[in-house]
Amino acid sequence: MNLSLLSANKEITFIILLIFGLLTFATILFYIWGIVKPETNLIELKIRTKSWWSMAFVFIIASIIHPVISYFAFGLLSFMALRELASISKNVREEDRRIIIWCYLSIPVQYIIAYYGLFNLFVIFIPVIMFIWLPFMLVIKGSTNDISKSMSVLPTQLMLTVFSLSHLAFLLSLPHIQGFNPGGRGLLLFIVFMTEINDVFQFIWGKILGRHKIIPKISPNKTWEGFIGGILTTTLLGYYLRFLTPFSPTEALIISFIIGCSGFIGDIVVSAVKRDIGLKDTGKMIPGHGGLLDRIDSLSVTSVIFFHIVYNLYYT
Amino acid sequence: MRGIFLFVLYRILMRNFLRIIVGVKYFNVESLSKNNQFIIVSNHNSHLDTMAIMSVLNLAQLKKVHPVAAGDYFGKSPLKAYITKLFTNALLIQRTKTINSQNPIELMFECLDRGDSLILFPEGSRGTPQKMQQFKKGIGIVLQKYPNIPYIPVFMQGMGKILPKGESLLVPFDAYVVFGEPSYSNSNEIEEIVIEVEKNIVQLSHIFRKN
Repeated sequence: MNLSLLSANKEITFIILLIFGLLTFATILFYIWGIVKPETNLIELKIRTKSWWSMAFVFIIASIIHPVISYFAFGLLSFMALRELASISKNVREEDRRIIIWCYLSIPVQYIIAYYGLFNLFVIFIPVIMFIWLPFMLVIKGSTNDISKSMSVLPTQLMLTVFSLSHLAFLLSLPHIQGFNPGGRGLLLFIVFMTEINDVFQFIWGKILGRHKIIPKISPNKTWEGFIGGILTTTLLGYYLRFLTPFSPTEALIISFIIGCSGFIGDIVVSAVKRDIGLKDTGKMIPGHGGLLDRIDSLSVTSVIFFHIVYNLYYT
Repeated sequence: MRGIFLFVLYRILMRNFLRIIVGVKYFNVESLSKNNQFIIVSNHNSHLDTMAIMSVLNLAQLKKVHPVAAGDYFGKSPLKAYITKLFTNALLIQRTKTINSQNPIELMFECLDRGDSLILFPEGSRGTPQKMQQFKKGIGIVLQKYPNIPYIPVFMQGMGKILPKGESLLVPFDAYVVFGEPSYSNSNEIEEIVIEVEKNIVQLSHIFRKN
């Protein structure tokens, strides 16, 4: 492990300690809770916390050891997320099997572009080049039955899983700013931590105060109380964690608020897809959480929004 | 030597390939380690099915397990038969009766008498993806003669999407392999045994979909 990085960068060390501190706190809390009130059903929460430990561990290792490992790890994440989405999606026709290979192949290309920091190519490769290439390939295949469905489903899947998540990797390719030590790595830890903690707090506030449902048709567990409580908590946290970013206090508040809102958007968009298919979870990969997409649904929106805000404020 | 070859091929290469690249997820693999000799019975949609099962067996089991495969398909040419046997230890049987072919059931009996294990796909062919066909009665005949050898029901989902019949290009998709508990048949009648095994696998699929 690159320990020199940790000692040289106290901001990064702090956020990592905070993550593990929170997890330790949650683990102990549920343990004591289980002893004091054995009648409450905490199994689900305990499994979730356990999964959080492994996810935090993998994420931190992948983001701090070496940039190349980070690109590789995020590429793999995109791949698994796309695979999951492609597996559950009912709108893709059987003859589109071979077209999906093109979607998979776009992943290494997108991440190599991110690695070399080719910004202009990076932002157009999927939404322009792949969006032209995929329909073209579908047409070449010949069958026009239901082809417009495939033409819209496949590119959307690419946007949700590959385009969005690759922005996390691109954060590491951003040039160094004088006087801003945490750099791209700090921004990466900031956005991922903020997104996930926003999910967690929306969940917690919803459990404690939740009364009024926001969109019962799509996600019956989402309440106004959880939504507002989550966003306020996230905004406040962002204010205190702004040392990971180049933001001023006001910017930190506004951007954190935006992260909270956009996380919610990602969450319900994937929920709606699941509803359409009739599934509760997108997969069975993470015990207690469901599939990979159930966990990174919010991230698929926050990463893009956050990246472009930072890029336009500080890197142009 | 043979054991190490199979171990590297399945436990290391195939297993990681299936789990990371292809997206196969295993459930209740522990039920395999409870017996030394068994008959694995599974639904069948893809060539990958055999690979998926073999890549979770341990070294001792790998050396002694024989997937029962169609001789008229895998044994079409001597080379194809040789390759199939080299990589999978397959027991090739003829699905249609010919004059000089040995009775497929007797070949399976020989295997079991030696103390070896079998992997059986009683549907008889891969069929259309995601659809289960009616089981053939071979499994009933085998289990009737060997009531002391447990059968392990296995339910697979999604394999037919990754590599369906008639396709040569493998496309990664999520797939699931669910192992049931080792079971012994309650019946002595061939037809009843077949129905029981089939029911067992269907039940596995229900449990899997519920959770």
